[in-house]
Amino acid sequence: MDRPAPLKVVVLGGGTAGWMTAASLAKLLPDRASVDLIESEDIGIIGVGEATLPHIRGFVERLGIREAEFMKATHATYKLGIDFRDFGRIGESYIHPFGSFGEELAGVGFHHYWLELQRRGQAAPLGEYSLCVAAALANRFQPPSRDLSLSSTYGYAYQFDATLFGPFMREFGQSVGVTRHEGLVTNVERNGDTGDVTALVLKDGRRIEGDLFVDCSGFRSLLLGQELGEEWEDWSHWLPCDRAAAMPCTHATEDIRPYTTATAMPAGWRWQIPLQHRMGNGYVFSSAFLDEETACEAIRDAAEGEPLADPRVLRFRPGRRRRSWSHNVVGVGLASGFLEPLESTSIYLAQMAITYLIELFPEAGGIEPADRDAFNRLVDMEYDRVRDFLILHYHATTRDDSEFWNHVRTMRVPDSLSDKLQLWRETGRIEKYSDGLFFDASWIAVYVGQGWLPQRHDSRTGMVDPERLKAAADRLRREIASEVSRMPGHREYLERETSRLAEAS
Amino acid sequence: MSEPREPLRRIVVAGSGQVALLSAIALRRALPTTEVVLLAVAPQGPAFADFAATSLPFTASLHDRLGIDEERMIATAGASHRLSTRYFGWSSHDQRGVFAHGGWTGRAMRARFGRDWGGGPKIAGGERPAGSLAEVLTDAGRFALPPADRETPLSLIEYALRWNPPAYRTLLVERARQLGIGHVQAPIETIERDGAGGITGLNIQGQGWLEADLFVDCSGPAAVLASALPGFATVDWSTSLPTRRVFIAAGAEPMIALEDRITLLDEGWLIEQAGRDGLLTILGVGEGTSEQAAIAALGKDPVAVMPVSPGSVAEPWQGNVIALGDASAQFEPLANLNLDLAHRQLDLLLEMLPGREIEPLERAEYNRRAGLMMDRTRDLLAFHYATPRARRVFGEVEVPEAVQTALDQFVRRGRMPFHEESALLREEEMDLLGALGFERQMSPQEGASDPEGIEAGEAEFAALARRALEAAPPYAEWIAAVTQPS
Repeated sequence: MDRPAPLKVVVLGGGTAGWMTAASLAKLLPDRASVDLIESEDIGIIGVGEATLPHIRGFVERLGIREAEFMKATHATYKLGIDFRDFGRIGESYIHPFGSFGEELAGVGFHHYWLELQRRGQAAPLGEYSLCVAAALANRFQPPSRDLSLSSTYGYAYQFDATLFGPFMREFGQSVGVTRHEGLVTNVERNGDTGDVTALVLKDGRRIEGDLFVDCSGFRSLLLGQELGEEWEDWSHWLPCDRAAAMPCTHATEDIRPYTTATAMPAGWRWQIPLQHRMGNGYVFSSAFLDEETACEAIRDAAEGEPLADPRVLRFRPGRRRRSWSHNVVGVGLASGFLEPLESTSIYLAQMAITYLIELFPEAGGIEPADRDAFNRLVDMEYDRVRDFLILHYHATTRDDSEFWNHVRTMRVPDSLSDKLQLWRETGRIEKYSDGLFFDASWIAVYVGQGWLPQRHDSRTGMVDPERLKAAADRLRREIASEVSRMPGHREYLERETSRLAEAS
Repeated sequence: MSEPREPLRRIVVAGSGQVALLSAIALRRALPTTEVVLLAVAPQGPAFADFAATSLPFTASLHDRLGIDEERMIATAGASHRLSTRYFGWSSHDQRGVFAHGGWTGRAMRARFGRDWGGGPKIAGGERPAGSLAEVLTDAGRFALPPADRETPLSLIEYALRWNPPAYRTLLVERARQLGIGHVQAPIETIERDGAGGITGLNIQGQGWLEADLFVDCSGPAAVLASALPGFATVDWSTSLPTRRVFIAAGAEPMIALEDRITLLDEGWLIEQAGRDGLLTILGVGEGTSEQAAIAALGKDPVAVMPVSPGSVAEPWQGNVIALGDASAQFEPLANLNLDLAHRQLDLLLEMLPGREIEPLERAEYNRRAGLMMDRTRDLLAFHYATPRARRVFGEVEVPEAVQTALDQFVRRGRMPFHEESALLREEEMDLLGALGFERQMSPQEGASDPEGIEAGEAEFAALARRALEAAPPYAEWIAAVTQPS
């Protein structure tokens, strides 16, 4: 079969998104794309996203990378979910698991029965009906089974060192044929008629031509934002956090938590991400409510292990470009949009854009506007769903102990979210979709975890014999507890799997 | 503290066909303390969901959950299994294709399809290897229900049932009686509206006043309850769905086959639906075909001729009244979607069952999802009329935007945009377009799949197909064996 000449793709930016994009295109479209990547040692890499979602496993697998090798290179640990502390109310916490709660019974979701048990004073915390939550809280881990048993009711992701993930992808990308150029872009050449980008000129005069440009230049958004002027939709009125003070520490405990911790703070929240040899810490805050110096002090005070470096402040702004693909420029990662790391979505959002770019990769004849539109619609849908879910974490609260929490508690939320909230409040139901991120179990985890209970639940729960319902729920808890007791500890499992372990540094 | 919602005290299900009966059974089972009354309004006009003798695989799973036993349907309601539908002549006279329930098998196989059959002009009329287990079994005429207690390759098969509608209805009536479902058979004299968009109660001739917390309108195209409401509005589909009349003929000779056929003739489309009671033939024609020409194309005298005026109800849940099945959408019985839509709406209602007080937002959420279901149903039909030959037979029609986008993406990019609440899996949607003769370009990734991986995938599929054939007896023999009076 005749093969058209490969399209010349130029990726601008050597951060996580840049190398993920370049490596994927080179590996998955070897005949369709030739890939050049431009990066500069003079530009720092933000390296967001130390915690991930289960989708990352599919990404690694599709590239043909062995999980063990990947985990070793990035000092990765396993992640079963996120522990949210003090969000709904100070002193309360819950885990948003990569797993489900109980089982549907006679067509009615488990959470309705849980609400009924709770009304009767017979319910344990919702998490006790989730194997994923119970395993996480017990610091235990083993991969889920592939059958339909209880031990198949969860998934997992990784917590890894973002500063190692980029270089790992760089090495992999170069091994599958990505050409790397070191240098600073000083000029963007465009076609006078179409406005398409034709070449990037580097400081030393080198000129890198391309058919398709992927802007992975981070917040600078050199091509999509600066050059093409694609409009930015600002979401900071809903998501006011715009800074992070990050500081790595040693592990303070013997156990390694198989989950990320997000603890609400007076002007935002702080993360704790356990890696193999250290703990990532950071305070995500709103500069409108807190100055950087105070935030750095706060993270120093709060971090539990020995600091391994001084706090470093990152700046960002939540929102997305109205179009992530414009002309022959596609934005992936921060150049296209940003949502704070509260639900570990950064790497997912880059991966999602890469997947759609591959599906809609331009044909030899050029870029079809219909494909660009399809890409932009998909990206918007993904961002908007994540956005609403993040806003929920701030808004579903009773906290009134700081200006920040007063603001997010009382702000007007997007209509798309307020309808969901009201439907839940009145009926205990979740607006259903099956594309994108965060389905029923995720919404239920946050609603219930933050004390945002509905006023009413399904009438059918009242028709089950109360004794039998309680007995069934207790049995499930016992089964979960017994399953957890048979699982190895997270550290134990990691240490047994020596091929996944990095050398102690 | 969350309280359980106050249960519905009484539900009136209006209708007397298979949709009403199954709805009443489902509601009764879900709400054992609620009185369920079947108000037997006979369906009038082209109630294609109520008269359907088949559906899609979803119905089998719904039946399973509602305690409608498949073995009994085989034993007493003439049930048989369909694994696939062959399409003939949609893109051109000699083009043919297969739509298999469950869609294609395996990514590697798809890659080969992209390479061999999607990428070039050679597809029309050409022989091609089977693309799914369902197709392999259909070709061989072999199938049996897989054993319940262990996995065999046959457990992977998605199938739809066909049945004898009167016998199926009898089975449902019997079940409804066992469950203590009330039955009222008398005309409605007046409908009392409640001022909040719904209904307080009905005056029934000779029976008096019948009130309820919830009314489920399964009365067929007339939508006797829903259409009486102030918020009732319809959406016209006739600009994109050109079939205007349907001619139905029945054969007397039993026909055991794992496939049905849908052929595009110069007069319109012709469905040949196999069945243990005989071959059912259904011809759909547009405005341009005369009755004489239609009957000639049908090949025998019709037992029924029905008009089709396609459209849907804008918001099927108004106040405390929910229009279901034919009462919510009317369209030709072309791709076995009529009863499937009714059953998926029923399932949605079961999921979102309200309490006595109905919340506006739950109505809105139901209407949103039911609306997506109905729109996608229209789109799946519209794909048929967008084929080159159908455009000549039926004339040019308005192609819905989602269909235009999907066809463009399928033909040019080898992909299918995802749609929530579709009757078909995305794989099945792609399979349908292939069966209709749309030629699909390889997707970028398929183009890049490595030959070794493809070969390994093919070998794996061939082995699976062999095992499936070994596990499956000739279907006619199996049916004979399981229906033998013991």
